[in-house]
Amino acid sequence: MSADSKNVLPRRRFLQAAGTTLLSTAIAAPMVITSRKAAAASNLTVVSWGGNYHAGVQEALATPFEKEFGVHVTLVDTPDLAKVKAQVMTNNVQWDVFDAVGPMAMTGSKNGYWEPLDPALFNRSDLIAPMTKDAVPLYGFTGGICWDNSKFPDGKHPETFADYFDVKKFPGPRTLRNRASETLEIALLADGVAPDKLYPLDVERAFKALNRIKPYIANWVDQTPQTVTLVETGQVDFSYTYSTRVKAAQEANKPINFSFKQNLIGLEYLVVLKNSPNKANAMKFVQFALRPDRQAALMNALGNTPASRSALPMMKPEVRKWLSDPSNKMNVVSNDMWWADHYDDLTLRFKEWVLG
Amino acid sequence: MKSRIDGLLYVGPATVFLFFVLFVPLAYVVYTSFWIGSGPSLSAYQRLLGSDLFLRTLWSTFQISITASVASLLLGYPIAMHLAKQTPRKRAIYMVLVLVPFWTSILVKSYAFTILLGRNGLVNQLLSAAFHTRVQLPLLFNRFGVMVGMTNYLIPFIVFPVLASLLSIDQSLYRASEIMGAKPPRIFFRITLPLSLPGVAAATLSTTVMSMGFFVIPALLGGRKDAMMSNLVDFYTRETMDWNMASAIGVILLGVVTLAAMGADQFQRREAKKGVMA
Repeated sequence: MSADSKNVLPRRRFLQAAGTTLLSTAIAAPMVITSRKAAAASNLTVVSWGGNYHAGVQEALATPFEKEFGVHVTLVDTPDLAKVKAQVMTNNVQWDVFDAVGPMAMTGSKNGYWEPLDPALFNRSDLIAPMTKDAVPLYGFTGGICWDNSKFPDGKHPETFADYFDVKKFPGPRTLRNRASETLEIALLADGVAPDKLYPLDVERAFKALNRIKPYIANWVDQTPQTVTLVETGQVDFSYTYSTRVKAAQEANKPINFSFKQNLIGLEYLVVLKNSPNKANAMKFVQFALRPDRQAALMNALGNTPASRSALPMMKPEVRKWLSDPSNKMNVVSNDMWWADHYDDLTLRFKEWVLG
Repeated sequence: MKSRIDGLLYVGPATVFLFFVLFVPLAYVVYTSFWIGSGPSLSAYQRLLGSDLFLRTLWSTFQISITASVASLLLGYPIAMHLAKQTPRKRAIYMVLVLVPFWTSILVKSYAFTILLGRNGLVNQLLSAAFHTRVQLPLLFNRFGVMVGMTNYLIPFIVFPVLASLLSIDQSLYRASEIMGAKPPRIFFRITLPLSLPGVAAATLSTTVMSMGFFVIPALLGGRKDAMMSNLVDFYTRETMDWNMASAIGVILLGVVTLAAMGADQFQRREAKKGVMA
């Protein structure tokens, strides 16, 4: 018996070793095999957002593009500028088209991450905002005031930014975004600056106005979902949020309502990475995404304002009522080029101000 | 001697791997903090140490992480003590229960905490009903909310090291002290606490270091005064692409934590030299 215990059963040992090796290979395999296969098959990599957004882009842009041009499109989630920097820095660019919100597109442009876009590819007079040398607007998102309609029916809630800052008429805690962009514009509009004279922003006046409202801001919201959930749970009475979020809340039968009396239109851009591996296809895709019918299809899925004016009449009426009114003189379209020069300093100053 | 070589053979590959995966990137971060486009410079450090925003954020980061780990210790130590007294089978079940907070994402939890701790949340409603007035304690979106969220996350990291320490205490010590006539409080303060100190120190240090890197929990559950260093690093890394500043912040944090760890280590060595009291 004692002699047997010295003999470590060789077959069992072998089976254990073999089993562990197979298991670890099985776990590691997808990381090795898929990436090579995907790299071989992909003729275009488009970076966009996840969830329902991803589904919308797939259906309205990626699949039709594949059908028309025979180019396989891979959709990657979550645009991250730091990753772009790392790729461009190490000359190992793997992404082609990038879906960037205004400040991100402008920062990337300043740092030279994007390829210049040929203006001849687009119908420039049709765009709701001008394209820059390396970024073209894809759509506008609508920021505005929301409230709980069951608690604050007509007359009891603010609908313009001046009212949002009027704590006597509309008392109660409210929110603002925890960043300089959008917040400074709201402060100036609330303070009485005319929408068409907003830029260049009078920063001192904006901070003075913000000082007035600071005690009544219960939350400086970092994460966008909270802009609506805080109103839903009654934590705040009014909030600054986006039309798409309120649309989703209403579809979930929540009594949240959104004001279209005064809105901030932010812009989302499409850019192409510098030295992208599929530059020609990327340019084709960007041009494809700006076609009015494709814009209409994408915006029907996402619920935002298309960059192409001629796409507007092509959209479904139940989605159109969620779009900002382009003729509304109280609205302001974000001036991303101004922000490109001032974003860094103002954000630092804003962070300091919020802490104080 | 042979066991030494055997040991190196087993640990060697892992060390080499860790060297490349951990130390080389770390060295690159340190290098990035000292190097700008035109050559080596301390400009990032000068800007940071002269920046009011940085110093205030650093201070609040320390406040939050030290308070969070002490609070987790105070809440987690009794849990570990209770677990130490169980039979191994029951202990296994309890350990799984301790890990339950990890099963939900923080975004979902922050929504749930709003329902519990919010202005019109369950806690406030209960207190209102009990005191027959409208109670609206500010329990969320301030330092208290951050503490709730952080302890929720950190308690498992306290319970396990402290539990390990408690389990390693020789059970005969308890029997001996009972025979000698000691009452439970005396046993706790003279035997359990001193002998569990290594586990407590390890747990507190690791939770403090971990919580210094948090930023989602304070962002979702905290107020405007609860900004953490990671928010600043995130800003420089992902928004302004100023990796020079971001690495400088990282190096400063790393330096502070290393000094704290070395200090704690020295303190531990002095305590160990005093000998184990029984």
